[in-house]
Amino acid sequence: MRSIALIGNPNSGKTTLYNELTGSNQSVGNWPGVTVEKKTGKLKSNNIDVNIVDLPGIYSLSTISLEEEITANYVVDKNMDLIINIVDASNLERNLFLSLQLIEAGIPMIIALNAMDIVEKKKEEIDYFELSNLLGVKIVPISARKKIGIEALIRTVEEFDFNDEVAKIKYSDDIEETIDLFASYIKDRFIAHRFFEDGIKAIVNIKIEKSDLAKLLQAHYDEKRKYTLDFDMILPNARYNRIFDFVKKTHMKSDIYEESETDKIDKILTHKYLGLPLFGLIMFSIFFLAFGPIGIFITNQFIWLINQFFSLIINGVDSIGMAPFVSSLITNGVFGGLAAVIGFLPQLAILFFSLAILEDSGYMARAAFIMDRALKRFGLSGKSFIPMLIGFGCSVPAMANTRTLDSDEDRKITTMIIPFISCGAKAPIYGVFAGALFGGGSFIVVFSMYILGMLVAIFSAVLFKKMLFRGAKANYIMELPEYRMPTVKNTLMHTWERCKDFLVKAGTILLAAFMIIWFFSYFGVVDGQFRLLAESEISNSLLGSIGRFVLPIFKPIGFTDWQATVAMLTGIVAKESVVGTLGILYGVNGDVVTNGTLLYSSIQANFTAAQAYSFMVFALLSTPCIAAVAAMKRELNSWKWFTFIIFYEVFIAYLIALGVFQLASIPIGDSLTYVFSGLALVFVGFMIRKFIRNKGSICGDCSSCNKTSGCHLPKYINFKEDITNKERNQEDE
Amino acid sequence: MTLKEILPGEYCIVKQVYANNLRKRIIDMGLISGTKIFVKKTAPLGDPMEIIVRGYSLTLRKSEARTIIVDRIEE
Repeated sequence: MRSIALIGNPNSGKTTLYNELTGSNQSVGNWPGVTVEKKTGKLKSNNIDVNIVDLPGIYSLSTISLEEEITANYVVDKNMDLIINIVDASNLERNLFLSLQLIEAGIPMIIALNAMDIVEKKKEEIDYFELSNLLGVKIVPISARKKIGIEALIRTVEEFDFNDEVAKIKYSDDIEETIDLFASYIKDRFIAHRFFEDGIKAIVNIKIEKSDLAKLLQAHYDEKRKYTLDFDMILPNARYNRIFDFVKKTHMKSDIYEESETDKIDKILTHKYLGLPLFGLIMFSIFFLAFGPIGIFITNQFIWLINQFFSLIINGVDSIGMAPFVSSLITNGVFGGLAAVIGFLPQLAILFFSLAILEDSGYMARAAFIMDRALKRFGLSGKSFIPMLIGFGCSVPAMANTRTLDSDEDRKITTMIIPFISCGAKAPIYGVFAGALFGGGSFIVVFSMYILGMLVAIFSAVLFKKMLFRGAKANYIMELPEYRMPTVKNTLMHTWERCKDFLVKAGTILLAAFMIIWFFSYFGVVDGQFRLLAESEISNSLLGSIGRFVLPIFKPIGFTDWQATVAMLTGIVAKESVVGTLGILYGVNGDVVTNGTLLYSSIQANFTAAQAYSFMVFALLSTPCIAAVAAMKRELNSWKWFTFIIFYEVFIAYLIALGVFQLASIPIGDSLTYVFSGLALVFVGFMIRKFIRNKGSICGDCSSCNKTSGCHLPKYINFKEDITNKERNQEDE
Repeated sequence: MTLKEILPGEYCIVKQVYANNLRKRIIDMGLISGTKIFVKKTAPLGDPMEIIVRGYSLTLRKSEARTIIVDRIEE
């Protein structure tokens, strides 16, 4: 079966077109992996059978992020029979840049000229017949959002003649000569183009004869001298000149500048003084909606529904009369765990829905624009803000969202600090402990946990940047798209896809984890006999034994009884279960999860204020729940970083809990404690400041700089070194 | 002078893009020697800046803008 790839700039309407082209009979498949978010579906056609692949948007085949690399590699490997290149007609010049690169690839192509309705609205005109002649590529004008021209596009695909000659593009003679020269060694004209632009990076995965490679590098060195312009700027320059020429001939627009809708909206939303407060307000409203009274109400209804459904099944299971450990596995292991996770779905759905609206309307880009300056201080990019924000709700979708970040380091750092941001599931822990022991001041205590989480996250980000990702730069360069009215269909689709992602994860990796943890919690030795335990006997479980065994380690941070350690261990499944486990262990009758006050007396009997605070700190900062751990592994995609961060979290949690508990236990009085904490905070602040101060600035030309170390100039300078090194190696041989 | 020094509301023409980690991307986004740029605004916190280039709106940090050499022009 033939396959078609949808390729275009980010935000050119690819996914909208994809949904239109595949229609209702789409079979969307997700491949898990580094960051693979490519989707395939079937073309809505009665005449031919073809697959359509939707790839992440790219500006250029020279990539800077992992996500972009997927698409670029797809083109370089020529994995498709036909490309549908989506070109945003309202942004013709920049979009055609990629089109020319794709034409260089020599793959059969059709251009879908999208957003024609906007062009018309602006009273402009594009002569696409002429443009098609100039490019040598078939062009179909469409509007994916208004569903115009989709039929024509499908017909063009159906009638596409693969025997036709593929369009070619010729630049000036000296450029063509250079490409020919490179191609004579690389044996592939397209790769020669890429080598011209990207240098050695383009031929890493290409097999070239050793003798040819030396000649190629020499040729690269020689050709460089032929041009006055920088070598890597020559092809882009030639392309843009060509495009400018094309656009001048085909794009009719008035020269009078008119203020667009986007300009008007931006005047308010990114206003010098109003911009920030408005941003805060929007973020607050989303949170209020998802985690405020409305979200909680919906969640409660939903949980009730799930419990009804599950208890139906559980009753069924019980009545069949299976072996007790089987029914325990099903009721406690599988459904108990799933219910805890799925209970979050309504809140997540609200969160995803709001974010989808922000994304589709174009505000998300503005949020990154507004926040960039603040996050830059900590070595992150404005785009990191969104995943961190989602982290307050749930770490799992937050980590998935890091894929939108440009650099790999940025993505890793953001993923690693997200667990420190207090997620929604940790709130009940604070609620119960603060409520029981801090009375009127409980609000401040709870708030301090959120602040502490953020401080540790920021501190860790700076630390990682300084220590582990030296020289890594948080990249920020971003297009601000025009505002659009989000469509209902797209918003719902977005929301659904993310929810589904979450559910699939809950149903696979988590299920296995729940079963293992179930085994540890419901099996144990009672009276010298290893057997399945009843709910009230959880203290005899393997988990209980582990809890007792590790208790001495937790003594310094104020855990004096094994119940606390066991509750903490069950938090690995889901942080909500910490409170529930405490309820069981202290033998409280009634549902402590929905009514925390039932636990107050037990907590008052077993914890001092210092112990409780230390407990909360540890719960906040230590390893997140299994769902987040799985997501973290998936996003980091490296055992090395994954192992590191797990240990780092436990270490930091222990260290800070230790500090808090020891400080609070100094008997001289509370006032001194505050002095100490204050001093500690100031110290940490100074450390952070020092780290930031030391952060190297990005430099321009090297003439005014006499630093000998810590220079991180870009690849093309390394490239020169590469060449000299390669030459040296050749000589050695 | 560099792009960083161009004030909102002013026009300039790119002369050279110097080395920084986003150099290739900046070039691919259309900032090539001879390209005309309009500086639209800076973000509420003073950085990044928004420019109009080749008919679309691009935002970049001042640290990158500092490495783009331009000539100020009158509209």
